[in-house]
Amino acid sequence: MRVALFIPCYVDQLRPRVAFATLELLRATGASVRFEPDALCCGQPFLTAGEERHGRALGRRLIDLFREDDAIVMPSASCVATLRRHLERWAPGPEARSMAERVLELTEFLIDQDTETPALPFPHRVGLHASCHGLRELGLGTATETREPPRRDPAAQLLSRVPGLELVDLTRRDECCGFGGIFAVQEDAVSSRMGLDRLADHRGGGAEVLTSTDLSCLLHLEGLAQRRKMPMRLLHVAEILAESSLEKGWDHAVRDRGSLS
Amino acid sequence: MSEARDTILAALEAARPPAGPEPERVPPPGMPEGAIARIEQRVQEAGGRFARAPAARWPTSIEWPTPLAQIRHLYCSGAAGHPEIAPRGVGEGVHDLQDLDPLEVCVLRGRFVVVENGAVWHVPASPLERAAALLTDHLVVVVRAEDKRATLHQAYEEIAASQTAFGWFLCGPSKTADIEQSLVFGAHGARTMQLVLLDEE
Amino acid sequence: MAESRRTVHSDRARRFVADEARTRWHDEALWFVRSKRDAAADQVPDWEALRTEAGGIKRAVLSRLPELWRQFEEEATQAGAVVHWARDAAEHNQTVASLLEERGVRRVVKSKSMLTEECGLNADLERRNIEVVDTDLGERIVQLRNEPPSHIVMPAIHLQREQVGALFEQEFDCPPGITDPDTLVALARKDLRARFLGAQAGITGVNFAVAETGTCVVVTNEGNADLGTALPELHIACVGLEKIIPETRDLAPFLRLLARSATGQPISAYTSHFRGPRADWGPRGSELHIIVVDNGRSRLLAEPAFREALACIRCGACLNTCPVYRRSGGHSYGATIPGPIGSVVEPNRSPSRHSDLPHACSLCGSCSDVCPVRVPLHHQLLTLRSHLSEAGHSPRGRRWALATTAGILRHPRLFRSVSRWGRQLARVMPERWLERWALPWTRERALPPIPAQSFRELYSTRARREGGLSKSDRARREDGPQAP
Repeated sequence: MRVALFIPCYVDQLRPRVAFATLELLRATGASVRFEPDALCCGQPFLTAGEERHGRALGRRLIDLFREDDAIVMPSASCVATLRRHLERWAPGPEARSMAERVLELTEFLIDQDTETPALPFPHRVGLHASCHGLRELGLGTATETREPPRRDPAAQLLSRVPGLELVDLTRRDECCGFGGIFAVQEDAVSSRMGLDRLADHRGGGAEVLTSTDLSCLLHLEGLAQRRKMPMRLLHVAEILAESSLEKGWDHAVRDRGSLS
Repeated sequence: MSEARDTILAALEAARPPAGPEPERVPPPGMPEGAIARIEQRVQEAGGRFARAPAARWPTSIEWPTPLAQIRHLYCSGAAGHPEIAPRGVGEGVHDLQDLDPLEVCVLRGRFVVVENGAVWHVPASPLERAAALLTDHLVVVVRAEDKRATLHQAYEEIAASQTAFGWFLCGPSKTADIEQSLVFGAHGARTMQLVLLDEE
Repeated sequence: MAESRRTVHSDRARRFVADEARTRWHDEALWFVRSKRDAAADQVPDWEALRTEAGGIKRAVLSRLPELWRQFEEEATQAGAVVHWARDAAEHNQTVASLLEERGVRRVVKSKSMLTEECGLNADLERRNIEVVDTDLGERIVQLRNEPPSHIVMPAIHLQREQVGALFEQEFDCPPGITDPDTLVALARKDLRARFLGAQAGITGVNFAVAETGTCVVVTNEGNADLGTALPELHIACVGLEKIIPETRDLAPFLRLLARSATGQPISAYTSHFRGPRADWGPRGSELHIIVVDNGRSRLLAEPAFREALACIRCGACLNTCPVYRRSGGHSYGATIPGPIGSVVEPNRSPSRHSDLPHACSLCGSCSDVCPVRVPLHHQLLTLRSHLSEAGHSPRGRRWALATTAGILRHPRLFRSVSRWGRQLARVMPERWLERWALPWTRERALPPIPAQSFRELYSTRARREGGLSKSDRARREDGPQAP
């Protein structure tokens, strides 16, 4: 199986270790994995800022870059949701539809692969923050307001296989963290209030580590936590899974908790 | 004003979207087990009181908001008519509907009760009856226990066939939660409402 | 990141959120209503199918509006009502005023109607020296405070009991310090009862207009719409074009969904069906006048991306679930209808006034999930952003910044050098400068630590170190497309 790794702009620039974790997790499935360096952006920032016409050129380029891959995996539920929903609108036709069908969020991809059970313990209490895009656009998990039949939550399932990892309970399991793209900047007061409320919920549940399938949520929450000197560690799901399932600590490692990648 | 009418209809016509699929109708649930118990629960949740009584003796079988003998102003719908209840005071009739303001108790006869929500379908016999139901302090609605419909689906099939000029669903007393979400009964209309299911013997 | 142009909602929201305790209280109050809605939905096993049915009925109606309204008019007229048509708010207000003035009416009671709010009816009537008293308790409270409602179902949800107590002390001449809701409601009941008894006309909204029979259905918990129409001889019912449904039986799915979505009740206390005027009582006979109002609705119908918003049944569930509404309050929106649905319909009606509203949204999607008629609100809000921008309602600075960024992203080599420079600059810049430059992100948040190298750089360095591309990369390079 030919898998392409599409690393979104902000992961590439701000948190390379999430990209490395993703890459290693994909390689561990046995698939033939390549990284596509010329795929820079899914177009989401333009979409949310109301300038989606810029997404069109980006979309057409992406279709060309990923033509030959069986699956395109991204460690970002919101990017995958953008492509799945909007790519065909930006570049109508069967090629866009094909790509939209082949693009997958990381945990969505991993859950169906026959990978080995994680061996290394991650003995921490972990709060799983539900990415709104992952939940409501990709259907990863069941939103609390819906009465549809329950849907599996790949991230929760994968994390619960990690020895020693305890997922904490939250009072509002799927409330938005307040990132929302340009919203974080344009409505920074409400955005911050929403994020602080999420942090309080996780801390109230006893979480030492906060994780999500979306780095954008995590950077926003981490920024709030650090400004207030909250003792909370924020890690992408890929980082936790990589730490637990890859035998040799991979060199851009979570183990070295203080350093940058 | 027909110029406005023509303009609006023309605008709607010009903007008419292409017809889509017919809506998928949900088959209504049937009458559940324990329907009476469910009605009681819904009525209580709505802040009302519930009683069940033999049709022939119901006025003496229920608890009145004030003892029947002490009520000075009482309206009783003809259809709820029972030899032991007679209208009194302003309930006997008024010239202006506003004069019903002192009414203490209003007794109505409902057509049927809806099991899923505890509401009663009532068709006032006259403007007087409707005003009485609203100005009264206390409302008592009697319905035959056999006159129940499972959900609003079944209720509306019957209502559609009947073509009344005015009808309403009543459920519990008048209420509001407009002050800090704190539920208070007797906002403007009846302070208490009692639903009495009658068993024919 | 330069500070973006301030928009109205964000300014007001900032002020609201600055009061942390009040924001928490407001958020909890509305979350509580959302939880009640969840519990009510649990009672209905076919909840999701009902949403599909109700949404389907409303969508089908959009394709039949002219004939349905003609049918409604004919039926209502046959039942003895008079049907009027109003193209806009001014025409609506004029029609109401004429009806009242022709009959020498000076005292009117009005039950909740967002349509009359939208048209600014109260102010219009007051200019003509006609007293109009809003009789829904929440509406009465905000009317006395001279402010607009902050929620379409719970107009005074933004007020705490002490504020209501202070208001009543002033208006009803009662002793100070009363905060107990039971007592406050009793005071309002007494005052409003006098209004009902003295009213010469009653104005109501309409929740559903049934074409089959010309019936207007009005839903309340307080019974105020009924008290307002059971006593006076004149009933004026104001209804928006989107409120029509084809048949009586169609009321079932809507009424099973409405109160549950709005307040978590299976049904409200009063669900009244008006077909024609009240039977005569007294010398002057009763009248029912129905005013059918457009005011931008036919224009919304013409917008394929947004017409589904006309399905809205005004339950308020989207407001209750919206994390932004709960933390900014209805007044932050500066529009008649706040919250997610308001942020779709208001900018469609007045783009230049409300172009900020679709951005008052974190795109979480909860609103679409709770909407009883499946309006895809969060998708519409997103689409509306680009529509408004293309129509020229976006700040020029933002458009320019995004166009520049898009240009850079189309050229990977350019992106790589710009981003490398940017990262290096950020790493050497004094922290205080960087924080100021990165406002508003940095108002409450630390910046993420900026890595020395991006993933791309590290990956290609590693690849070179490991002696060229990995085997799988090499294999793909042979088959796959070549990068420029």
